[in-house]
Amino acid sequence: MAAEEDTASQLRQTSRLRFEHLKGRLFEAGLVGATLLGIVSLLVLFGYIAFDAFRPLTASVRWYLLYFGTLVTPTAAFTLYARRRPAVRAANARAFAVILGGLTVSCVSYVVAEALSPYDIFVYALFGGVPPILVALYGRTTDDNSYIGPAIPVSILVGFGVANLFYGTIRPLVDILARWITYFGVVTVPVAVIMGVVVSRRWSRQRGLYAAGAVIVTSLLVAVGGIALGIDPSFWIVLSSALVLPTVYVVGETVATDPEGRIGVLGPFVVIGGIVVGAVLERQLGIEGLESYVTPTLLLTSWNGLDAGQAGVYPQIVGSIIIVGFMALLAFPVGVGAAVYLEEYAASTGWSGRLAALLEVNISNLAGVPSVVYGILGLALFRNTLGFGTGVVISAAGTLGLLILPIVVVSAQEALRSVPDSLRQASYGMGASRWQTLRNVVLPEAVPGILTGTILALARAIGETAPLVIIAVATTKYSPPEGIFSSATALPLQIFAARSNVSAAFRHGVVPATAVVLLTLMLVMNTAAIVIRNRYESDN
Amino acid sequence: MQPDTNSLQRNEFVVRKEQLYRALIAGCGILTILVTVGIVLSLSGKAFTFWANVSPIEFFTGTKWSPIISQSYGVLPLVSGTLIVTFFSALIALPVGLAAAIYLSEYASERARSILKPALEILAGVPTVIYGYMALVYITPLVDSVLPLSVRVLPPGLPVVPEFTFIMPSLRTFNALSASIVVGIMIIPMVSSISEDALSSVPDSLREAAYGLGSTKFDVSTKVVVPAATSGVVASYVLALSRAIGETMAVTMAMGMSPQMPYFPNVLRNLAESSQTMTAAIVQIAGADQTPGATYEAMFAIAMTLFVITLGMNVLAELVRRHFREVYE
Repeated sequence: MAAEEDTASQLRQTSRLRFEHLKGRLFEAGLVGATLLGIVSLLVLFGYIAFDAFRPLTASVRWYLLYFGTLVTPTAAFTLYARRRPAVRAANARAFAVILGGLTVSCVSYVVAEALSPYDIFVYALFGGVPPILVALYGRTTDDNSYIGPAIPVSILVGFGVANLFYGTIRPLVDILARWITYFGVVTVPVAVIMGVVVSRRWSRQRGLYAAGAVIVTSLLVAVGGIALGIDPSFWIVLSSALVLPTVYVVGETVATDPEGRIGVLGPFVVIGGIVVGAVLERQLGIEGLESYVTPTLLLTSWNGLDAGQAGVYPQIVGSIIIVGFMALLAFPVGVGAAVYLEEYAASTGWSGRLAALLEVNISNLAGVPSVVYGILGLALFRNTLGFGTGVVISAAGTLGLLILPIVVVSAQEALRSVPDSLRQASYGMGASRWQTLRNVVLPEAVPGILTGTILALARAIGETAPLVIIAVATTKYSPPEGIFSSATALPLQIFAARSNVSAAFRHGVVPATAVVLLTLMLVMNTAAIVIRNRYESDN
Repeated sequence: MQPDTNSLQRNEFVVRKEQLYRALIAGCGILTILVTVGIVLSLSGKAFTFWANVSPIEFFTGTKWSPIISQSYGVLPLVSGTLIVTFFSALIALPVGLAAAIYLSEYASERARSILKPALEILAGVPTVIYGYMALVYITPLVDSVLPLSVRVLPPGLPVVPEFTFIMPSLRTFNALSASIVVGIMIIPMVSSISEDALSSVPDSLREAAYGLGSTKFDVSTKVVVPAATSGVVASYVLALSRAIGETMAVTMAMGMSPQMPYFPNVLRNLAESSQTMTAAIVQIAGADQTPGATYEAMFAIAMTLFVITLGMNVLAELVRRHFREVYE
């Protein structure tokens, strides 16, 4: 009897254990399912959007085979080769970074300068750029350079002020210049200076001068060539100074100094070459390609609400970039300043401590205010109080700047907090003042972290729609903004405005393609932030 | 740590320069306070003008919102629209977010976490206007074709009384269900990341003690870790609800702009029909009419109400969280 009872209780025990085990497994499966639920449903929705935007079924099988041969196979083979060789991978990443970065810089600066008038930018760059250089040069010649630091921003402001004051007389003089000369001044000269500084730090002063000279001479040659051929060389000057020469430098340097990883620089060329060869063969063989909605027409023309084949979002892209750019100019210094105050200056007691506590609470509250309320603030502040026009760039940039301010402050605070205290103590120990410590020790250490947070905030701002709707940014504007007091339009607004368009070509074509453009912009920014963060982490 | 600057005998100019920089930087901080003051002033000025013309009692208890046609300014239909979306999106996001947080903090390997956490954060980073578009163009037709609830269960011939038939009618083009689904997806990462912080900061000694008593991982997670982190989880819930209340583009695009009081007792019908949230009403007024007048000022009154509600919730979440911090530090 007793033995039987024992067996029965043991059986109960095992089945109870089994049940417990099963319960645990089911629970874990449920948790995994929940974690994946949001991600998977988002992927499905992205799939729908991508399907409508790219229309993969419109291409023939031959088209897929062609690109599989020219693009996918070589890229996959190269990736497989590079996977186990860290030096190759690093060189590959460098090459990709310089090409993508150079392409972005040249396109964005050309497009923005084109929209805002290259002549105006040239005037302001000249008057804002020359005085600080003179001040810095003067600083080299004197021993007492305690005035130089504060004098530089002042000289920039004075330069801008002079430019503004004499705009009426200066502008006609500048207008005599050819367009390419303004681009030469706005893009080539800064690139030459940066290249010169980079090369002279890495190698020697003389090589730095050679590098800067090479940039200038190449651009002049491009200009001469363009004029000889009878085309406007402006865009080619931008492209050669901001994309081609940096690429040549990085590729050349890698090939010369890094025998192990040298093969890696081929990575981007495998991809680009695959696309070019594919496109040439596609035309030569007459293969039916994708009838995608994401086309050069979409990127380079303006919105046409009637004909889907002619619809483009060029003004929206430029508007978004200009708004977000000015927003960064406004929000970044203030946000970093507030973070520096909270982390480096504020004491924990006294009035300064109370102010800091108030700021902390306030910033966390600001982060929770709905974006639509910021829109109302922008409306009240910029239109009703300051009297700016309806939906102009400066109001949009200001409103979004206020919106992302708490994000910038919080991320900058985190970056400053992660700078080890020993560095500060060492700097103080050498007799540096608080500002000197901050400028020479703390900020350089924290810059990557601050940049990461700021870029993420920009990526969020580029998708923000509600505040722009409230401050009445136009949805029916078919040209990019011409200045900061000109009315603008933005990418997300066009998606919002197109919700009522029931024509299938728009609803399942142009609008998803616009969404793809917006998501790509966001993705590029997020990737940049991740790249900076990873580099920073591997350095530490 | 304040270095003793006096003993170093600095150049007087350097000292003054230090003070200048300090003042500049403190000014940046003060600007953020000015932003709050600006919000409150800009909202309250116009809002109180509105409440001087339209009595607050009428505004807060009126059941009809029709500012442009019949000048009725009852905010309750908008509040109920907001609550419907908040409730049903919470139904999706709160359990899913907590489950994801438990998985990430207790079960996931280092590698899985390093992939899943950023992937979840992408959900919050997608522009809400794209979510709204997805809801309008993809989710509504999809859900409408999947949901079998639109079948008539009553025998033909009997009239269908929507208030007393607990079936879901087929979805309208603009409907609360799609809006709730996308808002729910959008706020999952908010719940999961804040809850995960709370769960991971539960000290390991508690887990070890529970394992020592022979508990399974299931028991440790559900009976020890989650209860110990309750306040953090609650704080994440409150913040997520506050975000759902303030969400604008997705609900404007997916839910439409036809304010109405909720249907009782057939709550499912509310999901199938179009409605309007407070934020959508603000967008509608801003888009339609920016000339001074009662309707324009009503926009500020709604925004003020919204600001007070979300501010209250954020403060509540902060208080709950502070309570939770005190436990383990």
